[in-house]
Amino acid sequence: MKFAYYPGCSAHGSSADYEISTQAVCRTLGMELADIPDWNCCGSTPAHAIDTELSTALCVRNLDIAAKENVEKLLTSCPSCLSNLRLARHRMQDQQFRTRVNELLDAPAAKEFPQTYSVMEMLHEIYGPDIIAGRVHKPLTGIRLAPYYGCLMSRPAEIMNFGDPENPTVMEDLLTACGADTLDFPLKTECCGASFGIPERSMTARLSGKILELATRMQADALVVACPLCQMNLDLRQEQASKAMNTSFHMPVLYFTQVLGLAFGLPPEALGFNKLCVDAGPLLRKLATAQKSGGAA
Amino acid sequence: MRIGVFICHCGSNIGGTVDCAQVAHDAQSLPEVVYAINLMYSCAEPGQAAIEEAIKEYQLTGVVVASCSPRMHEPTFRRTVERAGLNRYMFEMANIREHVSWIGKDKEANTNKANELVAMAVEKLRRNRPLHAQSFDVNKRVLVIGGGVAGIQAALDCADGNIPVVLVEREATIGGKMAKLDKTFPTVDCSACILGPKMVDVAQHPNITLHAFSEIESISGYVGNFTVTIRKKSTYVDWTKCTGCGACTEKCPNKKTPDAFNEFTGPTTAISIAFPQAIPKRAVINPDYCRQLQKGKCGVCAKICPTGAIKYEMEDEVITEEVGAIVAATGYDLMDWTVYQEYGGGRYPDVITSLQYERLLSASGPTGGHVKRPSDGREPKNVVFIQCVGSRDKSIGRPYCSGFCCMYTAKQAVLTKEHIPDAQSFVFYMDIRASGKLYDEFIRRTIEEYGTEYIRGRVSKIYPDGKGSYTVCGVDTLMGKAITVSADLVVLAVGIEGSKDASKLAEKLRISYDKYGFFMESHPKLKPVQTNTAGVFLAGVCQGTKDIPSSVSQGSAAASKVLTLFSADKLQNDPQISAVDIKRCVGCGKCVQTCPFGAIQLTEIRGQEKAQVIDTVCQGCGLCSSTCPQGAIQLAHSTDNQILAEVHALCQR
Amino acid sequence: MSTLKGKELRIVGFLCNWCSYGGADTAGVARATQPTDLRIIRVPCSGRIDPLFILRALFNGADGVLVSGCHPNDCHYSEGNFYARRRLEVLKQFLPVLGIDDRRFEYTWVSASEGQRWKEVVTTFTERIHALGPAPVLEDAQALFRVADMTLSPLHALGTGIQAPLEELKSAIKSRLPELDCVLGWQQGHDAIHSVPLFMRSPEDVDKLVWGPLNVNNLAVYLPSLKGKKTGIVVKGCDSRSVVELLQENLIKRDDVVIFSMPCEGTLDMARVMQKLGSYKTISQTDSDDKGITVTTDTGKHRFDMSLWAQGKCYGCATPGALLADVRLGTLHPVTPAPTTPPELAMLDAMSLEERRSFWKAQMDRCLRCYACRNACPMCVCRDYCVSDSRDPHWMTQDDSANEKLFFQTIHAMHLAGRCTGCGECQRACPVGIPILALRQHIARAVGTLFDGYQAGIQPKATPPLLGFEVQEKNIHEREWK
Repeated sequence: MKFAYYPGCSAHGSSADYEISTQAVCRTLGMELADIPDWNCCGSTPAHAIDTELSTALCVRNLDIAAKENVEKLLTSCPSCLSNLRLARHRMQDQQFRTRVNELLDAPAAKEFPQTYSVMEMLHEIYGPDIIAGRVHKPLTGIRLAPYYGCLMSRPAEIMNFGDPENPTVMEDLLTACGADTLDFPLKTECCGASFGIPERSMTARLSGKILELATRMQADALVVACPLCQMNLDLRQEQASKAMNTSFHMPVLYFTQVLGLAFGLPPEALGFNKLCVDAGPLLRKLATAQKSGGAA
Repeated sequence: MRIGVFICHCGSNIGGTVDCAQVAHDAQSLPEVVYAINLMYSCAEPGQAAIEEAIKEYQLTGVVVASCSPRMHEPTFRRTVERAGLNRYMFEMANIREHVSWIGKDKEANTNKANELVAMAVEKLRRNRPLHAQSFDVNKRVLVIGGGVAGIQAALDCADGNIPVVLVEREATIGGKMAKLDKTFPTVDCSACILGPKMVDVAQHPNITLHAFSEIESISGYVGNFTVTIRKKSTYVDWTKCTGCGACTEKCPNKKTPDAFNEFTGPTTAISIAFPQAIPKRAVINPDYCRQLQKGKCGVCAKICPTGAIKYEMEDEVITEEVGAIVAATGYDLMDWTVYQEYGGGRYPDVITSLQYERLLSASGPTGGHVKRPSDGREPKNVVFIQCVGSRDKSIGRPYCSGFCCMYTAKQAVLTKEHIPDAQSFVFYMDIRASGKLYDEFIRRTIEEYGTEYIRGRVSKIYPDGKGSYTVCGVDTLMGKAITVSADLVVLAVGIEGSKDASKLAEKLRISYDKYGFFMESHPKLKPVQTNTAGVFLAGVCQGTKDIPSSVSQGSAAASKVLTLFSADKLQNDPQISAVDIKRCVGCGKCVQTCPFGAIQLTEIRGQEKAQVIDTVCQGCGLCSSTCPQGAIQLAHSTDNQILAEVHALCQR
Repeated sequence: MSTLKGKELRIVGFLCNWCSYGGADTAGVARATQPTDLRIIRVPCSGRIDPLFILRALFNGADGVLVSGCHPNDCHYSEGNFYARRRLEVLKQFLPVLGIDDRRFEYTWVSASEGQRWKEVVTTFTERIHALGPAPVLEDAQALFRVADMTLSPLHALGTGIQAPLEELKSAIKSRLPELDCVLGWQQGHDAIHSVPLFMRSPEDVDKLVWGPLNVNNLAVYLPSLKGKKTGIVVKGCDSRSVVELLQENLIKRDDVVIFSMPCEGTLDMARVMQKLGSYKTISQTDSDDKGITVTTDTGKHRFDMSLWAQGKCYGCATPGALLADVRLGTLHPVTPAPTTPPELAMLDAMSLEERRSFWKAQMDRCLRCYACRNACPMCVCRDYCVSDSRDPHWMTQDDSANEKLFFQTIHAMHLAGRCTGCGECQRACPVGIPILALRQHIARAVGTLFDGYQAGIQPKATPPLLGFEVQEKNIHEREWK
């Protein structure tokens, strides 16, 4: 199965491990993600805060490319890109807004755009927990995982259409299919503070710290995320968060695709584990022990 | 016909923008009008006298008054013409105040419009016929549906008024929601202590027949003569033998049966008596958990029962009661608050409803009145109350205020302090609505004497903090700051809605209801306990949110309406009802099919099926008239010809 | 009454007593200034408003009609406005086919407390009517004659039915005859190109039975008058829908009727056929083959191919066999239903409102007011008590004007809303050939669109849409007040 794919900028930079593992997992399942040609940045957070038309135009250019390629469904792994692309499509239904955006483009955009979907949702929809469970070679038995969606994936509900905005459960289904102990993580849709990562570093540290603190208390072996920005805040800035909370966290922050890949039996280095800041070594060793004893029994 | 037309100035109300003398003058040339005059105040005593005199002097057989809205003074003038010897329906009104003088400033246009409205009224009147009410017997018995405090009050008041009462209660005991409460605001007196005696009165009153654990199956008939079938659900216990000794409940081996009376805060036995003061104090078997009924082996209760009351083979029984009036007092239920996923959606054991908290506070509750957390039995120290969960929240489609939550939340905060002196309560609120007698004083005491911390703002998230407590994240809108509070127990003041299946009952009663399951009263201000179905009255929260004093008042009000209705031996129907012209009727039954009141039936007349209106049931909506293609069924006083005459008066090429 | 010259237009309001009349009072009490054009007729409930009152007002020269009732769910009589909503919506959809601008009629819901809203409703509606100007008068319209294009392609092959098992039918009837009072069929009329109804009471009568494209009459028209008697009836597919509709409306009893179904291959459009034959004295011969019939008269030979000479309704027919039958004869070839617009309706669809008025003016001037259309209609069960010629109720005058005659057609069409099966007997019976079926077809199309493709006379147990309601109507939405 071949799908049109919008990687987003961070896939080629800060979240290369997300991109590697996403591609690896999809390949294993027989799903080919083909980049749409000549794509550009979605405008991410900063542009949208400053100029709605201009930032929408950035997304519309991508959607327009997809439309001209006759794409029905566009996939992306980044929730921020997802949110921006979906919002752009929604906003363009307003004729006056559309006119203003069209003025910024080289040529008026297509009348209809494809809808954008997250890779997570599509994996869930196409394969479902049962088929995924069938592909698991190394079940993650005994590993306690806290799913964390971030604030963008399910909000605003009427645009994202991703289950209950306060309590989405798609990731839980996938992690449970991998044999992991999936925790009912109450802060799964709380904000990690990504937007304030530069101007208000202390706030970001506090918000991320709250999430890391609860995951630690719930004795999670790892936080599992779907968003490059969340991953960066929780992983790269974990030390800052530790300081803010006056403690010392050691919480690996994995992409859900890395978890799926592990369960499918792919080697950690093929999933970008080497790019993590907080070492997932203890987790991998715990897994190895568990699998060994499981195999012996 | 000899028609008199009276044009009212209503002081300057009409006279200011309508040339009334001109209208009276023009009316003289209308067909069959023999007298037309303008009056200063036609509804005042001299005005009415002038109309009466004119009727006699000019031998008028019909009267048109052009004045205010017929919704205002039609009954007044009908009495006037009746006093002068005319039939009250030989009268028509033209509304030249609300529909003319008050809404237009152009005197020429207004005068012309008034002229036309008078002409229209005259044309209608020319086709009016005298109508006469029929009288019929009243069955002076009343059915009260629902045995909560409103229903109890209505039943007792009727019974004291010497009216036999049939009281039907869905649950195994009467008492309703009030019986579940520990204390009541603002007096903090014991709910069971003040309700208990009333419940006993119901049981002992010679005029009250109580059918508990029963539901209304069907209702037919009309005011004065309703026939009601009631399903007495099987209790598997012969209540004529059961003494309520409770021996069975002690020995029942299944001690993990969900306890609805206790709002599922603790288990009960498969055979149980709801609570010690239950009326009737009789045991009921929950068939889903009874080992004998599920697996066919056990029979402990049958063995232990000293009176041999256990009947495993018992089946539902349907009985019929004949009554003349019905009081609906079906109360409320909590809305499904689990839509609030941010509050855990029901996944956290220590996030409970206020009604559950009442049971934890109550001495007859599962914890014997010691407040313990459902999760671990620990006594909570920090208790957070969240108001407006499912009230005043458009985002989940609940725009209305549930009315009593502000007050009981304050009460629960007070009780928390009394039960656990070192506890601290926090209340997240939107606005405090405490408009009743002594209510605001109570709120002040809650804050000032009991040290309850009131925080104005909503809660965005509740989650277990991983240390055995809960983190409550909210906002203090007065401080303009996000805040978090650590809670051992969170109590949600959950919004209310009409009781489960209220809409089905409303359809049986042929009354209207809103989308939240509350019944519709006849008039929001002036007819709060009447409905649009004659003989059906409302009491308590089934009509809209209310606290206990209001529910009791409305119970009494409904009873007084019943007593008023029953004060006459015969009732008179409104003669503005439909009648069938049997030679035109082809018996197709379209009118029968569409009548909202079941007031039309097919009967065989000389070998042919014909429609027949049951005069006492017809409410006079006229839907049948517009449904019948033959024009065979006509609504008296709004016949096709009368409406056509009005149309012709207005538009005639 | 005349309107105030130059200032006002004639606007009639029908308001329910409980909500909207109260709302208008509330507006008055609040001294909410409104245009003075509107005259209000008070009725107990919006459910009391027969759409014909509105049509009567419009035909009498009203420039606009406004109806207002209680909001859905708030009806004083709990359900009246739900029925009203369906009927008024059907009326609104019906008006344009008469050449009446549907913006001249509006319905809405105003509660007794909504004085402000009432003011807005009155003001907006009055402004709308003033923008439209005085309503055009039918009698003043320039007559326009136009004929529908009958070059059509049928859904199934049309033929003469010469292969149909007539003899089997006869023996089937004979075997059931002893238990029946009468069986309805067709026999040859006064000459070989006409067939007329046949009432079979003996085996000899049965031998007179004929089958073919001349059997145009819909015999279901006789069933209601035979109610209570055991009656057999031979039906074409279209006739059977009338039988089903009569059953739906409790006008006949299923146990009393025995239905014999023959596969129909189409019937001839006799109006066109007779026009082609012209005035002839004798018919010497008729020859049928699969495709059509050849008629030899004293004036010559005339060929009528079924594919060219069938009735308009036959081209869109997807039910050549009976929908409900006790005895089925012959074999049916399944037909795939496809949305088709009948020729006369297509013609009207293509016209402007003004052209439609001109068209009806021309047609109605030809109307003899003979009521053949009514008498041929199997759904017109009022018979001697038709409201068109009664004094109580007195809906119509005896005035011989195009206006009054078109009003009769609207009465018939409105009474058939959701009931008409499109058998076309009204039009076939018309001695002057007025294409009045189009009015019924238009209303049936509107009913289908509003009520999930509902068609009359398909399901014996279905409730006709205007005798029911949904609390939330799927396809009826209140219009915004603009």
